[in-house]
Amino acid sequence: MTTTYPFEADSVDDALTAVGTPAVRIDGLDKISGAAQFVDDLDFGPDLLHGAVVESPHAYARIVSIDTSAAEAAPGVVKVITGEDFPYNFGMYMEDRYIFAQHHVRFVGEQVAGVIARTHRQAVRAAKLVEVEYEVLEPLLDPKEAVAEDAPLIHPNLGDYAHVPWFFPKADTNIAHWRKIRKGDTEKAFAEADYVLEDTYRVPRYAHCAIEPHVTVGKLDHAGRLTVWTASQSPHTQRHLFAEALAPLGFAHKDVRVITPYVGGGFGGKAGVSMEIIGAAMATAVKGHPVKLRFTREQEFYNTYQRQGVVAELKVGVMNNGTITAVEHKLYWDAGAYVEYGANVVNAAGLSATGPYRVPNISNDSLCVYTNLPPGGPYRGFGYSEFHFGLESHMDRIAEAIGMDPVDFRRKNAIVEGDELSYGGHMNPSGMIEAIDKTAAAIEWGVDEESKNPNTIMGKGVALFWKAPAMPPNASSASFLKFNEDGSVNVSVSGMELGQGYLTVMAQIAAEILGLPVEMVRVETPDTDRNPYEWQTVASHVTWSSGLAVEKAAIEARAKIFEVIHEVYGFEDETLYLEDQKVKCTTDPEFAKPLREFVIDGIQTDDGTWRGGPIIASGKFMPEFTNANSDPETGQGGHPNVHYTVGACGVLIEIDKETGRIWVRKAALAVDAGKAINPDLVKGQITGGLVQGLATVLYEDMRFDDDGRLMNPNFTDYKIPTSFDIPDEMIPIIVEVPQPDGPFGARGVGEHTMIAAAPVIANAVYNALGVRIKSMPITQEKIALAVTDRHHN
Amino acid sequence: MIAHEFAYERPTTLEEATRVLTEHSGSVRLLAGGTDLVAWLRDDAVAPDLVVDIKAIPGLDTIELDGDELHVGSLVTFTDLIESEVVAEHAPLLIEMAETVASPGIRNRATMVGNICSAVPSCDAGPVLMAYDTTVHLIGPGGARSVSIDDWFIGLRETACSDDEVVTHLTLALRPHGGVYVKLMRYGGEDLAQAAVGIVEYPGHEYRVAFGAVAPTPIRAHRIEEVLRGKPLGEEVIADAVALVRDEISPITDMRATAEYRARMCEVMLERGLAASHERLEGAGPAYGTRLI
Amino acid sequence: MELSLNVNNEEWALDVAPADVLLDVLRERVGTKSPKIGCERGDCGSCTILIDGRSVRSCLVLAVEAEGHEITTVEGIGADHLSELQNLFISNNSFQCGFCAPGIVLSATELLARNPSPSRHDVQEALSGNLCRCTGYEPIIEAVLAAGERNEEVSA
Repeated sequence: MTTTYPFEADSVDDALTAVGTPAVRIDGLDKISGAAQFVDDLDFGPDLLHGAVVESPHAYARIVSIDTSAAEAAPGVVKVITGEDFPYNFGMYMEDRYIFAQHHVRFVGEQVAGVIARTHRQAVRAAKLVEVEYEVLEPLLDPKEAVAEDAPLIHPNLGDYAHVPWFFPKADTNIAHWRKIRKGDTEKAFAEADYVLEDTYRVPRYAHCAIEPHVTVGKLDHAGRLTVWTASQSPHTQRHLFAEALAPLGFAHKDVRVITPYVGGGFGGKAGVSMEIIGAAMATAVKGHPVKLRFTREQEFYNTYQRQGVVAELKVGVMNNGTITAVEHKLYWDAGAYVEYGANVVNAAGLSATGPYRVPNISNDSLCVYTNLPPGGPYRGFGYSEFHFGLESHMDRIAEAIGMDPVDFRRKNAIVEGDELSYGGHMNPSGMIEAIDKTAAAIEWGVDEESKNPNTIMGKGVALFWKAPAMPPNASSASFLKFNEDGSVNVSVSGMELGQGYLTVMAQIAAEILGLPVEMVRVETPDTDRNPYEWQTVASHVTWSSGLAVEKAAIEARAKIFEVIHEVYGFEDETLYLEDQKVKCTTDPEFAKPLREFVIDGIQTDDGTWRGGPIIASGKFMPEFTNANSDPETGQGGHPNVHYTVGACGVLIEIDKETGRIWVRKAALAVDAGKAINPDLVKGQITGGLVQGLATVLYEDMRFDDDGRLMNPNFTDYKIPTSFDIPDEMIPIIVEVPQPDGPFGARGVGEHTMIAAAPVIANAVYNALGVRIKSMPITQEKIALAVTDRHHN
Repeated sequence: MIAHEFAYERPTTLEEATRVLTEHSGSVRLLAGGTDLVAWLRDDAVAPDLVVDIKAIPGLDTIELDGDELHVGSLVTFTDLIESEVVAEHAPLLIEMAETVASPGIRNRATMVGNICSAVPSCDAGPVLMAYDTTVHLIGPGGARSVSIDDWFIGLRETACSDDEVVTHLTLALRPHGGVYVKLMRYGGEDLAQAAVGIVEYPGHEYRVAFGAVAPTPIRAHRIEEVLRGKPLGEEVIADAVALVRDEISPITDMRATAEYRARMCEVMLERGLAASHERLEGAGPAYGTRLI
Repeated sequence: MELSLNVNNEEWALDVAPADVLLDVLRERVGTKSPKIGCERGDCGSCTILIDGRSVRSCLVLAVEAEGHEITTVEGIGADHLSELQNLFISNNSFQCGFCAPGIVLSATELLARNPSPSRHDVQEALSGNLCRCTGYEPIIEAVLAAGERNEEVSA
């Protein structure tokens, strides 16, 4: 059985002129010339004030008192604000977060007060003068300790927080959400299985490390309108949360405006609202002045979202013929001090923790556990990267145990169209088998490689991945489109150009429908006053969702064009088409009406009057086939996910047996894009995601001391890849099994490309050395010590 | 943004520099390349009243070969070393070391003398300068003096240079040699050393061995040198030297590596490094700049 | 302190404090926004500028140190017409978010000025201090190598 989709987009057409081409990015010139403006590059004039944040030095403490008098008296200080000024809570999916700490601090670095001064230097100096007295409490830093029966409570009032209906917080515990899946009979299946493997895998926290730090400039003008310029993936969601959180100050949504210029990388870290609420609150405290809050790299690390750590307890049962019969996956997430966004990562992982396999008997428990570490949140991969590490390591181990080739084992069990999903729905069309075969061929799976260097050894690994967008069931996108006098087009959308090429892809979709060259379409970053709604640029959903909204707007514009041509010339709509910036007609080859002649001014008729006028259109898309209503105890009954994108990854690595150093000699990654609107940009997602994923397994790692303090909040000790840290050869493979409801068949690929990177390395290390490492990262040190220890044992 | 405020002087002679330093002794910092100092100022790790920029003093930016001595001025940057033909010919190990320091945008400013004045345990220049029998020349209110590199490093970020002195240049004693600088890093990109070793072999089976990042300062491995002295390198001799590594070093466990990994890698680096430096002495072996680990 | 600064061949007379960092002075006082604030401790390379043709971290230079030197930013490189390298970056879709792009253009410009036909390793070395989180570097390296190949064709 396959899902039926209420909206069927244009079918994939061989005669495409804009879609499917490696069009040059429409923002390329901006970015290469220095013209591209990011929030910090905007000028606000001489009355711009600067904010600095007073932070908690403790992971858990009660605030006894705050003395701001010395700071208020410091040179240049305009205002000092604390939690007393903003006693509000807010949050994306659960309102457990505070603008400034209220009575308690729950992680090192949490904002306790804000100082606003004439200059940045004055603000930073004055912030050091705010005196806060704390009663220090024992922090909880480990999710397994935090779920213990007698653990102290990090949020005693958890039961009072408002939250979305698909969350199930357990009051009087540290469990903020517990996603359960129960399907079939796992107990029976494990009893009947020929082989059962059970083990625990550990994944630490990671940082997004967009090179642009978070920056916010807020201004409450004297007419009462709040404008906030943010480096954000989520302008409309931010506007909504600002308006809601600050509602006691009397804001209507129409009075709050979010403007988001180019964003210097997001990766999930700039989704939702994190530090931006501090900037918005500061703006309300200094009416009439713009105030800028720019996080330092250190703050970027410890007080914006982090990727959550997880302890994954996994049990899988198989038959000797290689059929997987049961999966039991328990995920204990280190979700941090506030989980308003991170709890949905937990939810998404829980729904899909079988991985891309056909599994008849499932028991998933995904627990969102409060700890006294910085708030977890969205990060490219959204929980999937984390659980795939253990899951895909496990699959290799099982294949070996039953004497099956790991690629054959995966091919046998890979989920395909129509297979039942863990929550009861059915799998969408998927090119998984093609992805597996092409990946295996690209790395010459089955052919042993010999190293020429006596110190090194070669290894190969494979891993599969899948991911669905994690969204509210009614997350929507919208677009406006208008023609200009010369037949060029402006498209307004509110998805964000994070670098993925969103603006270019939207331009290609509009250009395709309207018969225009891509260069004739301008798409810019949004302003919530002028651009139509977009939920957020997350979940790898905008090519699909916003793309559909743009496609619909373009189709509407095309219909209006045909309507005026019909009215004036009498051609029937079905005979008309757009090509080369002209309207043409299948029944009259001579007819070719340039768009520029009428899309604003209309067409003059024989009697001298005019028909038509400016061609404008709009489009919107909301998935109308999803719902998040399911049984809390089994997860059955809903249809929470719109579709899954799948793929496979394979590597050839070389390892120095003594030092443990790994060189990735070759990495192939195949992803089923449905339809690559711009193959060059899809390849960009593959190379970029792959390298980001490889870094998480090879060296990246947030390190906290016993007091919950982050020890490496900088690039000196949190290493992200340089130009030397990439595979010698990367082989991007685009699979195209169309998504029936996608624009031209497209589905998202942005996050997926990093998901398989961790297990593929774990599997290749095992393949080379026979050492199985079950905690990330798999550093050269870990390998070297494991190899020598094995020799000693 | 640097929150701390300070005064700035840019003397044009060494005399003026030492006079200013004497007047402000105790709360003054010298500025050359600035790649450490400006970062420390920004991090509030130092808070001097005065910063004295020595870049306007002429004569400190030269590399000169004088017989069997190589003089390297205190304003010579790592890039200067890398691009110097004299260095390439006579002290290629300096280049092998310099190429592991940060990245070009840092090396264009950072000086080798600044590197040993900052005196962090992972200081790259330390082990190599020890292996090259280097002398540090300083000038202060009492006139000029010199210090052996072996006596230069006193402790963590502490050197033999007093607050009122300026390093003018280094002198390396040159002889035909083969050498290596092996640096353990967390990945292929720029990194501070997790551990490092500088090795030089001179004709007549004379050796220099010094380690970085495995003690509070770079350290000369005298016992290893002693066991090697006068012996042609062979598997057994190398094994004897490697067996002494843990006696020489005192690594700690920190965020960058465990003590155990540091120790094991010092053994591996010494083993591979001795072999490579010997091959280089004989005009063979991997080209300078080739990473051995 | 009085400071005269030469930025992209324009002279600026400024009054700055000794603690003012060159990066901040370029952005806030001169209005040259292409050097970006990424880490402020020399780790990321997004504040890269050229001083006398050499790539430098402007976050690690005090503004007063720049007296008497020529500063070039990407605004100065492409002012009249884009360089061949910049065109190749565009046609190769080399960048994604573009935040690191000004710094990388300058590091690669410095490389090509000194080494017109660099090897892949040379390019990796020249860019090794410019962090890019989006691209995986490959499309950037390919564009610089292509620029090198064109230089070779011209000189051949």
